Amino acid sequence: MGLPISYHWRNLLVRKTTTLLTLLVVAVVVGVFTWMMGFASSLTRSLAVASDETKLLILKRGATAESNSAIPIEDFNRLNQLSAIVRDEDNIPLLSPEMMAQVSLPRARDGGATFANVAVRGVTAAAFKVHRNVKLLGKGFTTGRREVIVGQAAAKQFAGLNVGDTIGLGYGSDRGYKVVGHFSAGGGPMESEIWGYLPSLMNAYNRKTYSCASLRLSDDADSAAAIERIRGPAIQLEAKTERQYWQAQSAGIRRYLTVAYALVAIMSVAAIFSIANTMFSTVAGRTREVAMLRTIGYSQWRILTGFVFESILLTTVGGIVGCLACVAWLSLVGNTKDMFGATNFTTLAFEIRVTPAIVLWSLLSVVAVGVIGSLIPALRAARTPVVSALRAP
Amino acid sequence: MTLTYVLMQNLKRNRLRTALTLVAFALPMGIFVLAISFVVAMVQLAQQSEKQLRLAVHHKTTLTNLLPAGMRRKIEALDPDRSRLRAVCGMRWFGGRVPDTQNTLTSLAADADTFPIVYSDVGMTEDEIELWNRERTAAVVGTGPADTYGWKVGDRVVLESTVPPYLTLEFKIVKVISNPERSNFFYFRLDYLNESREAVGASSARCNIFWTKCNSAEGMRSLQAQIDKTFANTPDETKSEDENAFAASFTQANGNLPGLMQAMAIVVVFIVTLVAGNTMMMSFRERTCELAIFKAIGFQRGRIFVIVLAESVMLSFVGSLCGVIPTSLGLLYFPLTLTRLGPLPRLEVSFSAVIASIVIAVAVGFASGLWPAFQSMRLKPADALRKIA
Repeated sequence: MGLPISYHWRNLLVRKTTTLLTLLVVAVVVGVFTWMMGFASSLTRSLAVASDETKLLILKRGATAESNSAIPIEDFNRLNQLSAIVRDEDNIPLLSPEMMAQVSLPRARDGGATFANVAVRGVTAAAFKVHRNVKLLGKGFTTGRREVIVGQAAAKQFAGLNVGDTIGLGYGSDRGYKVVGHFSAGGGPMESEIWGYLPSLMNAYNRKTYSCASLRLSDDADSAAAIERIRGPAIQLEAKTERQYWQAQSAGIRRYLTVAYALVAIMSVAAIFSIANTMFSTVAGRTREVAMLRTIGYSQWRILTGFVFESILLTTVGGIVGCLACVAWLSLVGNTKDMFGATNFTTLAFEIRVTPAIVLWSLLSVVAVGVIGSLIPALRAARTPVVSALRAP
Repeated sequence: MTLTYVLMQNLKRNRLRTALTLVAFALPMGIFVLAISFVVAMVQLAQQSEKQLRLAVHHKTTLTNLLPAGMRRKIEALDPDRSRLRAVCGMRWFGGRVPDTQNTLTSLAADADTFPIVYSDVGMTEDEIELWNRERTAAVVGTGPADTYGWKVGDRVVLESTVPPYLTLEFKIVKVISNPERSNFFYFRLDYLNESREAVGASSARCNIFWTKCNSAEGMRSLQAQIDKTFANTPDETKSEDENAFAASFTQANGNLPGLMQAMAIVVVFIVTLVAGNTMMMSFRERTCELAIFKAIGFQRGRIFVIVLAESVMLSFVGSLCGVIPTSLGLLYFPLTLTRLGPLPRLEVSFSAVIASIVIAVAVGFASGLWPAFQSMRLKPADALRKIA
């Protein structure tokens, strides 16, 4: 039979200050860790959406992003000869010409103190067939009017994008476009964008060329072969699958996360040492007690697992406090974050969310920290020489 | 019996605990010195650019909207007697990268005549300026790209632009910038870019930004307002910002690394306070009897207080040294490159950061030792001796 839980619980309560201090160390580390995980998972989720292997993004040769690409209309027309493109019920290829521009909008989270560069994408009806995960939440734009629709992430994070608001777009920001609806994109990067009708926006931005294009390949098409074909002499454009494109764009964000993770890892090691310290002290203070337990029949193994369990109890409570603190922080201070892509000069808006999976991960890691930190002190306790310990003052 | 002797004996007694505390203290302090170095470097950078008195004038809509090159004359005309304004340098983004590499360099074409004046912090000598003026393909590069690609003065290098019309141009390097604040940049002459653009039929004579060097901070503020007012309600409405505000928008867009570092520094201080406090509480509990004996044999309250407090301070001090010294030495020999994460080319530990870390650590030791020290001072020898540890 193992030692009863209440035994450990009471032991933790006896040394209130030490327990509380150790618990707080764990809680702080877990809180930061949970925040990082929330950030990383938002990024991963967003990029997972944008990893359609049958969707190709077409750029001008030499361009690194949709926003610094310029495709003349005659170049774009050459894409029609590609046989691997899916056709719709009217036998029209799913090929979407697009224009990218940016507008500087105030961030909602700091009340407009700083501005973010938000992507403006000019599209035609084809875009809604190529970008399958884009779903209108309400009205779409009418082609004859100056109207735009706004991705729901952008609508939340940047000021002045509510339905009914008018934003200044165009080269001089002097053409008022009315926001008529929002759209979702399955949580993908397009949710950070503003969409309007391509000819209207090209006119507003004095553009004579498209920026980029996207197209949908048939499910059985070989994307590598299609990319080769597009790069080849007949078309002479650059193509990337959606996954390749966003992996490159998110390189900087992933580097940022690596830095953050390294810092959290170092803190976790510090937390392990802190727990070891506490557990050593616990064990040292209870030598006679342990000897007593051994005398009345508890095995070495029970003693060992007992102390490890006590440590897990301590760290888990710390972990729960940390997770709660993180959730509280996110809901009180705000959970929005946005970052530039590597070369597209436009911002990708995130929402940091603590999901049950993240909580589970945090708690699992915290249990691991508890086990590692307590293993050696617990071993020492298990090896207590019974007779001499009982005799000691 | 000196204080130091008691201190050392106490720390040596439970070597394991001292060692664990030191490690648990040293690791976060390592992060702390990094974070503080970063923050210090950012502050220094901000002070430097503030001194340069440069105003960034760009399109209000976004930086990527181009402004007509003629705007330079209009800005200059706002201050004909040059009491506030020294020079204006138009710049256009080239976004060049070395062929067959992925990293886009911060490469900009700049007005050749005013560049050495507006960017006096690049530190061009008379000879270098003459070379820059004479050589149409002249380029001035920071140590960042120069080190990465092994470039030196006199080399001919080729960059391909990542913006329309995707020109591939050859440059001759006339200077490698030693100023760390400019180490990620690649500057070349705007007239060279414009000629090359015209050669392929692209429009020219447009700029992304006009850097306006001012004579005084007051002059800069009045010009800032005046410039934006002049171009208001035109197709080329401008937004003028000082260099720090301009840089801050990039820092924000790159995820606000300084913010992360500041947050980390605060978290670390919190953690080490708890760690040190915990150790001191444990030591105190185990030594209640001993402290009571000290009291019983005539040690004064103040003395007891100092003994406990000094131990805590000592522990934190040594712990911080264990974290700060290896981190600083590590960074001295292996500087962390941050080229793509923010305005700082690389992270170096500054002397002030080291001092700040140690001072904070000592303060933490002081704070976390206060309560145990206070309790030891209040001990009643008779009660404490009776208590079984």
